[in-house]
Amino acid sequence: MIRFLLKGILRDKSRSLLPVLVVAIGVALTVVLSGYIKGAMGGIINQNARFQTGHLKVVTKAYAQNSSQMPVDLALLGADDLLKKLRKDFPQVKWVDRTVFAGLLDVPDSSGTTKGQGPASGIALEMLNRKSGELKRMNIESSLVRGTVPQKLGEALLSDDFANKLKLNIGDSVTYVGSTMNGSMTMKTFRMAGTVRFGNALLDKGAFLIDIADAQEMLDMENGTGEILGFLKEGVYAEEKALRIQSIFNENTDPHDEFAPTMQVLRDQNNLGDYLDTVNAYSAFFIGIFILAMSVVLWNTGLLGGLRRFQEFGIRLALGESKGRIYRSQLVEAFLIGMLGSFAGTCIGIAVTFWLQIHGFDISEYYSNSSMLMPSVIRSEFSANLLYIGFIPGLCATVFGRMLSGLGIYKRQTARLFKELEV
Amino acid sequence: MTWAVMAFGLCWYTIINQMDTKEIIRIEQLTKRFRDGEGEFTALHKIGLSFGRGEFAGLLGPSGSGKTTLLNIVGSLDKPTEGRVTVLGKDIARLTHKESAMLRNRHIGFIFQVYNLLPVYTVFENVEFALLLQNFSAGERRKKVMEALEWVGLAHMPNKRPDKLSGGEGQRVAIARAMVKRPEILIADEPTANLDARNAHAIVRMMKQLNKELETTFLFSTHDEKVMGYLERIIRLEDGKMVSDEWVNVKTKKT
Repeated sequence: MIRFLLKGILRDKSRSLLPVLVVAIGVALTVVLSGYIKGAMGGIINQNARFQTGHLKVVTKAYAQNSSQMPVDLALLGADDLLKKLRKDFPQVKWVDRTVFAGLLDVPDSSGTTKGQGPASGIALEMLNRKSGELKRMNIESSLVRGTVPQKLGEALLSDDFANKLKLNIGDSVTYVGSTMNGSMTMKTFRMAGTVRFGNALLDKGAFLIDIADAQEMLDMENGTGEILGFLKEGVYAEEKALRIQSIFNENTDPHDEFAPTMQVLRDQNNLGDYLDTVNAYSAFFIGIFILAMSVVLWNTGLLGGLRRFQEFGIRLALGESKGRIYRSQLVEAFLIGMLGSFAGTCIGIAVTFWLQIHGFDISEYYSNSSMLMPSVIRSEFSANLLYIGFIPGLCATVFGRMLSGLGIYKRQTARLFKELEV
Repeated sequence: MTWAVMAFGLCWYTIINQMDTKEIIRIEQLTKRFRDGEGEFTALHKIGLSFGRGEFAGLLGPSGSGKTTLLNIVGSLDKPTEGRVTVLGKDIARLTHKESAMLRNRHIGFIFQVYNLLPVYTVFENVEFALLLQNFSAGERRKKVMEALEWVGLAHMPNKRPDKLSGGEGQRVAIARAMVKRPEILIADEPTANLDARNAHAIVRMMKQLNKELETTFLFSTHDEKVMGYLERIIRLEDGKMVSDEWVNVKTKKT
C-alpha cells in the first residue's frame, strides 16, 4: 500500500512537487534567516572582539575603570611574564598584547616646518611578529589601500582618509607627539609604509598603527602593554567558556592592588553585555515569529492538500477502505512530503548560509558616517541548530495541517464525502 | 412437545425458504430524512423491498426521487433514519465505520456516473486498488486484475492512464474495478448517463453478461431508456415513495 501511495505522490505533481516546494522554500527561508541574523549579530560582536575587546581582556584594575581615556599610565608591566603565564594556563586561548593610545601627528616639510597636523588614535600591535595572527585578525592586509604593511620597526600605517587629509604619500615621514606612561612628553618619527581603510568611520577617521615594540619604546613602557587580548581558538565568542577562564584567572589576583591584572570578558566591555542580551532576545523573537508564520503557511498547505482530495477519499471509501486507514495514509503521505521538503529546504538553506558566510553583503556605504564598530560585510554564520531549526517546524506543520484537514474525513458522513465526489 | 416440534419445523422452513430464495438485500420500512435548513427533508419514505442473488434490477425515477439515497444506504455509505436494511445478513444501521468498509470491500462494488477513476494511476493500478485492501499476494492480484480486464475487453491496455481513455473505456475500467473482487452486489448509479448510445448498450450488455456468469446482483439507478430494456425488474420511485415494483423481460420472478 505504501508503494502504491508513493507512486501516487510521485506522479501527481500537485500532491508532491508543489507541497514539497512550499515546504522546502519555507524551511530554506527559516534556515537562511536564522543563519543570517546569527551571523549579522555575531559579526558585530566579532568585529568588536577583533578590534577592541577580544573575547577576553587582561588589564590593570585602574585601567579597566578608565579604559575610555586610553590611559597608558595605567598599563600592565611585566607583560612578557604575564603573557607566558596566560599562554601556559589557558592554552585554549590565543593571547596577544596591544596598546591603544592617543596623540598628535605632525607632518613636517623638507625644511622641518609643520606642514599639517591631526589627532591620531593609535593602536600598537604585534605587526612584525607574523605568527601573532594580528594582521589577519585586524584584517590589515585586505584593508590596505596604498603601500605595504610595515616590514621593520619605525614604519607605520595610517588610515587612508587621515593620510589624504595630511597629504601624505608612501614613504613620507610623520611624527607622533604625545606623552609617555610616566607623563613626560614623547616624540617619534615614523615612515608611512601604507594606508588602510577598514570600512568603519570610527577607525578610518584617524587610525595610526605601529608595532608594539615601537610603542613600548615611544611610550617609555618597557616590557609593558596597555592590554592583553585573548581570542578563543574556535574563533567565536563562547560566553560560558570565557566566564570560566575569567573566574579562574581573577581568583588568583590581589583584590586590593589596583595595578594588579584583572580579566574581563567581552560582555563586560563597551556595553556589549546589554547588546548581547538584546541581540539574543530580538533574534529569538524574530526567528520565533518567522517560524510561526512559516508554520501557518505550511500548515495551510497541508490543509489545502487534504481538502482538495476529498473526492479521492470518496472513491477509496466506496472501494472499501476504512476512514481510519485513509486518515493514516494521509499522515504517512504528509510525513513523507514534510521529510522530503524539510530535508531539501534545510540543504538549500545551509548551502545559501554557507555562500553568505563566504561572500556576505557589503553594507559599508550605508553607515559610512557611523561611529559604531560594525563589520563592513555582513555574513551569515553556520551553526548546528540550523540543521533542525527549519526541519522540525517544516515537518510538524505539514503533518499537523494534514491531521486537521483529515479530520474532515471523520466529520463528514461517508455519503456526504461521496456527494463531493460526484461534484 | 408437539408445539415445540411445530415451532422448530416452522423456523427450519423459514431458513430453508430463505436459502432457496437467496435473498441478499432486505429493506423494511426504510425512511431517510436529511436536515434541510431548520427543517427536515424526507428523501425516502417507508420503503420495503428485497433483492435476491443474481437479480438485474433498476431504480427509476426523476431527480430527487430518492434513488441515490437508497443505493447509498444499501451500499452502507449511509444509514437509515428509520426502518431496517439488511445486506448479506448484516443490519446496516448497526455496522461500525470499519464494518461498513469491510462490507463494501468484500461484498459490494460501485460504479458511478462519472467513472471516478483515480487519475494518477494506470488502468491496471485502478483495478488493483480494490484488491490491495485485501491480503492478496502480488501474483494473485495480477492474475485477478488481468482476468477482470479481460471481462471488459481492456486486457491490452493495462498501462494506460485514465485521461487517455474514451468514456466507454473509462466506464469499463470502473466495471472491472468493481467486479475484480467478485462482489455479491454491484451498485451502479446512472452508469450510462455520460455515454453515447453505442457505448451505453455495450456497457449494459457487458454488465448483463457478468450478472449471468458471476451471479452478481446488479442494482441500478437510472432514467436511461437504453438501460431499462435490459432490466429484469423495475422499481419506480417518486418523492421518496415506491410507486411500483414490476418484473419485466423475464418470464418468471426470480425470488
